[in-house]
Amino acid sequence: MAHDDRKRRFELLALPHLDAAFNLARWLTGNSADAEDVVQDAYLRAYRYFDSFHGGEFRVWLLGIVRNCFLDWIKENRSSRMLFQAEPAGETDETLWSERPRDPEALLLESIDSQTLEQLMLRLPLEYREVLLLREVEDLSYKEIAAITTTPTGTVMSRLSRARLALRKLWLGAHATEVVRGV
Amino acid sequence: MACDRIRTLLPLLADGALRQPRRFFVARHVAGCPDCAARLEELQSVGTMLRTKLPFHRAPPGLAARIGAALPRETPPPVPRRRVPVQAFAGGLVGALAGVALTLLVMPAPRDPVVQGAIDSHVRSLMAEHLMDVATSDQHTVKPWLSARLDVSPPVRDLVDLGFPLLGGRLDYVDGHKGAAVVYRHAKHIINLFAWAAAGRDTGFSETARQGFNVVSWHRDGIAYYAVSDLEADQLAAFARLVSGG
Repeated sequence: MAHDDRKRRFELLALPHLDAAFNLARWLTGNSADAEDVVQDAYLRAYRYFDSFHGGEFRVWLLGIVRNCFLDWIKENRSSRMLFQAEPAGETDETLWSERPRDPEALLLESIDSQTLEQLMLRLPLEYREVLLLREVEDLSYKEIAAITTTPTGTVMSRLSRARLALRKLWLGAHATEVVRGV
Repeated sequence: MACDRIRTLLPLLADGALRQPRRFFVARHVAGCPDCAARLEELQSVGTMLRTKLPFHRAPPGLAARIGAALPRETPPPVPRRRVPVQAFAGGLVGALAGVALTLLVMPAPRDPVVQGAIDSHVRSLMAEHLMDVATSDQHTVKPWLSARLDVSPPVRDLVDLGFPLLGGRLDYVDGHKGAAVVYRHAKHIINLFAWAAAGRDTGFSETARQGFNVVSWHRDGIAYYAVSDLEADQLAAFARLVSGG
């Protein structure tokens, strides 16, 4: 009875976030089958540690577990690949932002199509991709992202800035290529 | 402020992470500086693009069911922990307060159509990832935030010492009434306290149980209150009494 009650409480809290958990895992792993494994593992782990959830935003707690399960999944499956790449050095925000395109249309990031955007996102380093997802798609605060990624808030802010710049740079590059090709 | 100082703050402005009064000064600068405005727009356009264009991968059908089926096998039933001394003491305190509340104030509940609306709003708040607009345990943040947006100013108390920490607040509609939802927690139970302006005389506490939720409602000083939770009835009654300060 107590067990049923615990399970019901867990499902009431956790299942509404299944899409968010899956979307994050899908963007991290890059495919649906692995994302499913990671999410299922994360939910079982969350249930096991449910007693250590002490209020707050359940989604934040859960997404932190999804991320941990993803890191474990990497260790088991891709031990030789460094997925969390070092942040590119040498480019400051200032040099990147001042790189203004001549074609004003290129500034219209809104004009990008979903497929191109997906390609560009998958080319970003994982830690950029993850911070963009958590901030822009999940609409989480710096503090919540810091909790999920176990990173200081200041690092989250600077990483997010660099991630936005990197995505913008990729987009400008893709756009320039299209213009040259006459697409 | 100079442009280079403003520029370091633009991402914070775009992310809603700037507090007043800095927010005001940065926004004012941007309004009068085309360069900074253009840069802010670019920053925001990255977010807009991701929100509107990035494919969102929903969980495949059946995943929820598979997880649900896997859960019970995962752990043995946890050892009941209800009789830990500290909690027993807290329970005793709450029980005693509940006793007072029950003796003095609980009246037979007439069938109240708003109760269903309050339960629906409670469930929606748990399901829709929208429990809080302003998430803070600071009553001095929650109360002014609500007051600025509503024509009522419901009391907001942090009852953490009594086992009911304040989690935050949001705006909500209950059965057509626009009001405040102040969110508290007791153990793992979320309590939504709905409050809106309503004419009428002050009343005592009415208790209703429906769909596995308990609801305690009352009226005081021109405000209607509905506390909803899956908390046990006597604990919710104790909460109602504590939060109403009576």
